[in-house]
Amino acid sequence: MKFLMNIAFKNMFRNKLRTIVSILAIAFAVMVIVFTRGLIDGMVADTYELYIHYDTGHIKIIDEEYAQKERLLSLNYTVNGIGDKSLTEMQSDLEELQGIEMVIPRLKFGAAVSTEEELVQMLAWGVNSEKELAFTNLARELSQGRMVEAGNREVVMGTRLLEKINRSVGEKVTMVYTTAFSSFQGATFEIVGEITSNLPLLNEDVVFMPIDTARQLLYLEEESTELLLVGENRDQAETYLPAVQNYLEQNGGEKYLAQSWRGGSSFIQLLEVSETIYNFVYLFLVLLASIVVINTLVMIVKERTQEIGMMSALGLKSSEIMQLFILEGTAMALIGSLAGAIGGGIINYYLAGVGFDYSAAFQDVDILMNPIIYPTSKVEHMLFGFAIGVVVTTITAIIPARRAAKLEPTEALREI
Amino acid sequence: MSLIKLRGLEKTYQQGKIAVPALRGIDLEIESGEFTTIFGPSGSGKTTLLNMIGCLDKSTAGEIIFDEHSINDLNNKELAEVRRYNLGFIFQSYNLIPVLTAFENVEFAIRLIEKHSKKERRDRVMSLLEEVGLGEMANRRPNELSGGQKQRVAIARALIKEPKLVLADEPTANLDSETSQEVLELMKEMNRESNTTFIFSTHDPQVMDYARRLIEIKDGKITNDQRRD
Repeated sequence: MKFLMNIAFKNMFRNKLRTIVSILAIAFAVMVIVFTRGLIDGMVADTYELYIHYDTGHIKIIDEEYAQKERLLSLNYTVNGIGDKSLTEMQSDLEELQGIEMVIPRLKFGAAVSTEEELVQMLAWGVNSEKELAFTNLARELSQGRMVEAGNREVVMGTRLLEKINRSVGEKVTMVYTTAFSSFQGATFEIVGEITSNLPLLNEDVVFMPIDTARQLLYLEEESTELLLVGENRDQAETYLPAVQNYLEQNGGEKYLAQSWRGGSSFIQLLEVSETIYNFVYLFLVLLASIVVINTLVMIVKERTQEIGMMSALGLKSSEIMQLFILEGTAMALIGSLAGAIGGGIINYYLAGVGFDYSAAFQDVDILMNPIIYPTSKVEHMLFGFAIGVVVTTITAIIPARRAAKLEPTEALREI
Repeated sequence: MSLIKLRGLEKTYQQGKIAVPALRGIDLEIESGEFTTIFGPSGSGKTTLLNMIGCLDKSTAGEIIFDEHSINDLNNKELAEVRRYNLGFIFQSYNLIPVLTAFENVEFAIRLIEKHSKKERRDRVMSLLEEVGLGEMANRRPNELSGGQKQRVAIARALIKEPKLVLADEPTANLDSETSQEVLELMKEMNRESNTTFIFSTHDPQVMDYARRLIEIKDGKITNDQRRD
């Protein structure tokens, strides 16, 4: 085997240009795979994080009716406790469940601010600031001022939204909204903070206010439109879910729906399907590159027919002749895949710092996605690209190698 | 003792719907240590006969007994084993592996046997290369050797595993007469020293002069078989 490897390696240099072209084809395919995987991984990881922070939590509890009409931001179907227990007691119970570390209430409703030119619509979120700061990345996005404090009539909003209503931090703003009793009312708030974010949701849609203030204005009791449950690890959400569902069932909370983050958003489900599809795309890419290697090996078998006959005469078995050609294909695959994996790794390492700006494509698109995608630079992607390059190319090299192994020695020796 | 016995050997090639007989009932015995030449015009069946004896092809009818074992019923893998351990081949166009040095080309044949240590292998290859007069050129690749030198490497490659039989298909066809003579002298010397059996196919009268047994073949049949002292 060792001497076959030695010959296979040396044979690669018999026609250097052809070998280089084959290696380059594999290297290019593997590089594209490593880069694409880094890009998709960066996009998916970031998008999952955003959905978890600003939409689904690890597990989200909402009223089933509310789930049907979520876009209407109805205040008629709130989470207002369970059985005889208040919302605070319900939160405490949920925090006791295994794996659940934090329960975050959010009260979402529609609001608007009138400027001289137009009525600017926005999403008002009544929040518990401490929990939001602990769970999301809002602290990093707060470019000016501070987060809202409980009990105060104050708001925090994004830079773009402030521009739309022509206000800045320190100024006051009057907002109009519809209460739980469907009456149209208005209130004035002090703007205490500004959020500067790439995320359109934070930059131009949402206005944060203390949840107790929101409840008071909307004439709600101790209620929220949703409860977000946060566990130790997002990937364990499915494991914690049955205990949450069980708690709701046993305490008369049949009207509530508990969903893990994976099931809570159709976009996340779409991303998961895309990840599987991309795996097939990677396979297809390497198969395309393998065609170059197959072509090279077919030419090699043709050129070395007499040599194959000689080897056969010397006593080399068909399986050993096959091995010799597969080894030659594998050697090209190894070098090409290594070069491609390193190349892809370098591109990802560079782009992980600089990012890929998709802002233009994401304008007016209603999905939670950071318009600047930062590919992840992981050894895992390089190993994946390398492995798929070597395995697929080696397997495809069997086709021409079998042709060589099937040659009759007398036929092969006659060939000139 | 007979090394090879052929009994009523026939070989017919199928070319489309036409059956082309290449050998038509060959009966032949070759003793150990013989230095035999098979000659005859082109298309007479020399190479086919050599291929049959060399276990490279299967007969249509008849029997081949090699070293007292019938090889008629062996499969391709078993035939490869017979070639690996018992046979050496020398080809008209040398058929050396261009990416290997003279040393590695000779070593290639012995590495298939896997019964020698690395040092043993090295010593045997070097000693044989010196015997064929190429000790100084062990590290040269085939493209750095003349035709005669390439054929000497091929001879060393055929002999390195100490085979019972060496088959040479027109070994001097690509060499000038002076080099042919050197190569033939070398093979004769090897035949004398190691008692290895040599069978040649040739058109070359020079080769026939060296042979101790001359077998003439025409239209797939042996027409003349004479021994010389």
